[in-house]
Amino acid sequence: MFVDPRPPSVASADHAARGALTIADLDKSFTIGGEPRRVLDNINLSVKAGEFVSIVGASGCGKSTLLRLIVGLDADYSGEIRLDGNRIASTSLDRGIVFQDHRLFPWMTLAQNIELALLNTDTPKERRAQIVADHIALVNLKGFEQAYPHQLSGGMAQRAAIARALVTEPKLLLLDEPLGALDALTRVHVQNELQRIWMAQRSTVLMVTHDVEEALYLGDRVVIMAPDPGRIRRIVDVDLAHPRDRGAPLLHRLKDEILAELTAAPADPANLVRLPGREDRR
Amino acid sequence: MTARAPLAALTAPLALLALWQLAALSGVFPTQVLVPPADVAETLWSLARSGELERHIGESLFRLGLGYLIGAVAGLAFGACIALSRLAEAALAPAFLAVWQVPVIAFVPVLVIFLGIDEPFKIAIVALATFFPVALATFDGIRGVPKAWFEVARVYRTRIPDLILRILVPATVPAVLTGMRVALTRSWVVLVAAELLAADSGIGQMMEMGRQMFRIDVVLAGVVVSGVIGFALDRGAKAIEHRATRWKYA
Amino acid sequence: MKQVLARPAARFAIGFVVPLLFLAWWQWQASSGGARALTFAPLQSIGAALVELVADGALARDMFATVSRSLAGLAIGGSLGIAMGVSMAIWRPLDRVLGPLLHAIRQVPLIGWLPLFGLWFGTGQGTELIVVCLSAFFPAMLNSYEGVAHVEQRYLDVGRLYGFTPFQRFRLLLLPAAMPLILTGLTQALAFAWIASIATEILLGAGSGLGVTMQLAQTQQRLDVILVAIIATALLGFAINTLFQRLRRHLLRWQAAPL
Repeated sequence: MFVDPRPPSVASADHAARGALTIADLDKSFTIGGEPRRVLDNINLSVKAGEFVSIVGASGCGKSTLLRLIVGLDADYSGEIRLDGNRIASTSLDRGIVFQDHRLFPWMTLAQNIELALLNTDTPKERRAQIVADHIALVNLKGFEQAYPHQLSGGMAQRAAIARALVTEPKLLLLDEPLGALDALTRVHVQNELQRIWMAQRSTVLMVTHDVEEALYLGDRVVIMAPDPGRIRRIVDVDLAHPRDRGAPLLHRLKDEILAELTAAPADPANLVRLPGREDRR
Repeated sequence: MTARAPLAALTAPLALLALWQLAALSGVFPTQVLVPPADVAETLWSLARSGELERHIGESLFRLGLGYLIGAVAGLAFGACIALSRLAEAALAPAFLAVWQVPVIAFVPVLVIFLGIDEPFKIAIVALATFFPVALATFDGIRGVPKAWFEVARVYRTRIPDLILRILVPATVPAVLTGMRVALTRSWVVLVAAELLAADSGIGQMMEMGRQMFRIDVVLAGVVVSGVIGFALDRGAKAIEHRATRWKYA
Repeated sequence: MKQVLARPAARFAIGFVVPLLFLAWWQWQASSGGARALTFAPLQSIGAALVELVADGALARDMFATVSRSLAGLAIGGSLGIAMGVSMAIWRPLDRVLGPLLHAIRQVPLIGWLPLFGLWFGTGQGTELIVVCLSAFFPAMLNSYEGVAHVEQRYLDVGRLYGFTPFQRFRLLLLPAAMPLILTGLTQALAFAWIASIATEILLGAGSGLGVTMQLAQTQQRLDVILVAIIATALLGFAINTLFQRLRRHLLRWQAAPL
């Protein structure tokens, strides 16, 4: 079913040496109302080349900030982020990202949007059209090349964004809640697509999500983050070969475990919901 | 433009003033073409001291005020009427839209034939210039109230007076106020134009007299005064608009 | 009543009731004799004036003159306005230096410049064109500025991700993102240029044009001619605006259709 967009010369053996990410002693603060506020605190993480790592956590735990730093949109941090040993200071075509909103340019067709990623690569001009077509086929959007983004459904636009991120063959693919805005059924469908694409490409993937099931289904490891300030609470290994079965007992056991950890709160009677004014009416 | 760079903001106008003064004093241009800004300021001062400026401004603002009042009330009533009644809309909207295609200024010759060139003409042209934007804004404002809000009102069995006072009016006010502000600045332009054409007093007439007597200092004084008044009207209306729709920015 | 209004044909017919009543009243005023009859031109004389103006080519000449003046003003003033607005949004120092000055100039009603331009450039067609250009300049400038200055950060991020050069950023990102507002500015500029053409023609009366004819007819008390010119103005204005909206829809076909 899948189409391999890469020329045969780029073998997966080559990939194994590419895309290893190391994060060491990473701190990040924002200034809010004149007060410095720490959003990431002492993050240490190392991701092997070709590994799929999911990050889950409550909102406000700095997951998206972490991805912005790794992709290079924000260079103001202390500590180290290195990709294959090189410190990250700005954006580069060896890292791709997919945001929660697809961020396709609404004034360009699907094909133009994807080709735009190749604009400043050394890919020969005459091969670009073929590469774009291959990637459109990879995400199953054949026939929609000339469609404008507003003519695509949410799931289709998000798959197009994935194609745009992959077309430069990045060593590291960052996914920032890529399926967060999709409805439940579409999400399952695109999750399957993502797994299939990743198995074909085998680039390193770092995915932020708030969906524990999704994190476990796709990730080789799941990083659990805690908020205020954002820090790593625990890392869970998901020792299960791809492609995975959603019904695997291991996934369910881990899901219960992680959800319990994320929602753990002392059972304080003050936390119980009380409807205002109800008791007086009786 | 921002408070951070008041110096930079003043640089260009001040440089222009200085350049203007130098060019005028250099004697390259005859004084009918270029008078130094100092002379314009002096003219303004003497016009102000003699009470002439006050009279012109007073006349212009009186016409603007009366015409605006008539036009705004009529526009509100008409806009509400065609927005609330489908029959009124079917009967009146086509004619309204057809007349709206004509620039207000084109009605000047017609109004002059019917009303002459005295006060009624100037007040009528201001009223006309006010009527159209206000009527249109009122129509759009009322039609733009989301249906869901009426449904909420029905769920809570809101009575008609409450519906009007608590939903219709607050929801329509922002659009109407914007229309009224646009109408104010537009009618000011139209009034100055009408005064240029036919008047015995007013800012426009002062400028036109200045032109006919080759008094460029008087013309420039008129340009400055009409600019300041236009600016003040717009800012004042914006301030009112902002106060009245504070809930939008809360 | 509701069922009647639901039928498009009926709605259409109802729209004619008020104008017809108005025309009947007008005709009655014109034919009733008395002092007012002189001012109200009877309908047949308006028709005669129309035939006369069409026959000797005066109407066509006027329409052509006014339309070409407006379009020339739109082309010159509008393109200068877009260039200025875009430059000010891209290069902030220019905005800081020129912005306050331009905003100060903008406060003066355009018509207010007429006496000054009259002294400087005479009361001919050149002055008319300058005012029309100026009237198109400001809406084009303001909207282009807003459009380019407020391109969404999330799209700018995409430009950074793919290493856009400044030129690519401008051509592929800033310009298309600002295009809806630029076109809004041009729509306003067109309306302003059209009004300014008629206004300067009425006020200066130089060359030919619908406004010139109106003003001349007013001094001759020819209401019939004025009304013919007004109707021509309305129809032309409507036609130009419709054509422009078509063009706009074509250029912005990538936008989702408004609901």
